Amino acid sequence: MKRFLIFTKAMLLMHLRTREVLFWNFAFPVFLMLIYGVIMRDYIHWMTPGVIVLNALSFGLVGGSAMLVEMREKGILRRLRATPMPAVHLLGAYLIVNVLMGLAQGGVILIMGAGLYGLEVSAAGLLLGLPMMLAGALTFLAIGQIISGVAAKAGAAAGAGMTIYFGLMFISDLIFPLSMLPAWLQEVVPYLPTYAVAQLVRIPLLEGSLDPNWLRHLGLMALYGVSATLAAGRLFKWDPRA
Amino acid sequence: MTPGSIEIDHLSAAYGRGARRVTALTDVTLDIGTGEIFGLLGPNGAGKSTLLACVQGLHTPERGSVRVGGLDVQRQPAATKRQLGVQLQKTALLDDLTLAELIEVYAALYEVYLARGQVTALLERYTLGQQRNQLARRLSGGQQQRLALALAVANDPRIVLLDEPTSALDPHARRAVWDSIRALHDEGRTVVLTTHSMEEAEALCGRVAIIDEGRIVAADTPARLIAGLGASPVLKATVELPLERVRDLPGVLAARYAGQHLELETAQPQATLAALHELAARLGRSIGDVLLRQPNLEDVFLKRTGRALSDG
Repeated sequence: MKRFLIFTKAMLLMHLRTREVLFWNFAFPVFLMLIYGVIMRDYIHWMTPGVIVLNALSFGLVGGSAMLVEMREKGILRRLRATPMPAVHLLGAYLIVNVLMGLAQGGVILIMGAGLYGLEVSAAGLLLGLPMMLAGALTFLAIGQIISGVAAKAGAAAGAGMTIYFGLMFISDLIFPLSMLPAWLQEVVPYLPTYAVAQLVRIPLLEGSLDPNWLRHLGLMALYGVSATLAAGRLFKWDPRA
Repeated sequence: MTPGSIEIDHLSAAYGRGARRVTALTDVTLDIGTGEIFGLLGPNGAGKSTLLACVQGLHTPERGSVRVGGLDVQRQPAATKRQLGVQLQKTALLDDLTLAELIEVYAALYEVYLARGQVTALLERYTLGQQRNQLARRLSGGQQQRLALALAVANDPRIVLLDEPTSALDPHARRAVWDSIRALHDEGRTVVLTTHSMEEAEALCGRVAIIDEGRIVAADTPARLIAGLGASPVLKATVELPLERVRDLPGVLAARYAGQHLELETAQPQATLAALHELAARLGRSIGDVLLRQPNLEDVFLKRTGRALSDG
């Protein structure tokens, strides 16, 4: 256990010392909240949970996937594999650090929503929304790991993650309501993981209760999460030559 | 079980599958004893790093086995890894950590938990005490290699595997790393290193194995390998003298010109050199640069493979 804690702390320190991670995870969401507050003030309460999900998506698809690819590219994963530390410790530390970062990020966005725009979140809403957000963050991380298993270079992983991120950003009911999309797209979007996570997080945070279709959304998210985890496990490589 | 020993038995390994399959090692058998400095010498792509990777459990061989301290690497990977200290060819560090943090983390990966004083002592031993709180990515190349060595011994291993520990280092930094490797040997650790430098292999290693195209072509002490050539020292001199007169000088076994340089194979270098000076003086010629070259591992490689080591 001590080994795991020391390694997890090291991973956390590495994250906190990386300028790109700090920018995309803390500065960028603050910037987004300020911009959205200026141009879409009337919708900012509705959008705040969407921004939280959006940033968890960015962290999973862009930051998280690129980080492991970079560690593989530099030979760090290979060096870690030469030690007796089990692979599950690496995975566990990676997940814990990313979840902690996601929580901190969500906290920053909620504080901004409350402080600048008067968003009120009840304790019940937080209790219901928090586990949903964590489950969503893990699902996005697993999807990001498929990218890191396929991409040869960190740049390619970040590029692929960014492409998917921007694609999902506008259509997943995160910052634009589903009703604004073309009819055919409205039929497809409810099957996306981002849409499911958005519904699971938004209603609890805004209304303090679960979405009426929460089981369906949860099931869909779990399906994505489990499938992505299995695929990521198969695609995982310690070594660029593998 | 022999602590500190490595037994490699008929090992074959490859990369890729089907049409993209590349053979990396073919039927390699080696016994490395406790406390040796053992060198794997060969050109780039010869299979040295793959052999180390098989010992480290980082590459699964197609055939054969590796035993570390009597334990099978494939069957008991964690137990074998605990006996090893590792430095990979590419310095791969968690480089957003400070040196002290790195030492603490890498030792902890082996479930060895160092006190602050032990971390300091290890860093100072590798003359990195001043950089204790510096991020690893800010170190120079020589400092990074020394740090890689410090990390390799952070878990106090019986066997240290070093993959090209001095590549891309300047002569001063290389000597510093050599001193560190000798110190590991003095502590009774087994050291296995790969290199394509004959000078390094001769300076450090008690025994070497010469690898070419995935096969061991020779393995012994450098002195015995060189003696086995039956070759003589070569005296090189920049001078123009008639070859028939030169061939009659004492000790000369063969004489030839390579460009402007006279090359003499000799059994008595001192006597030949003195006689050469005398002959040049008699004929009114002056001798420019003189160089005595003893047979070395490069010659062994050339004889065994038909190619120069540097051609690889």
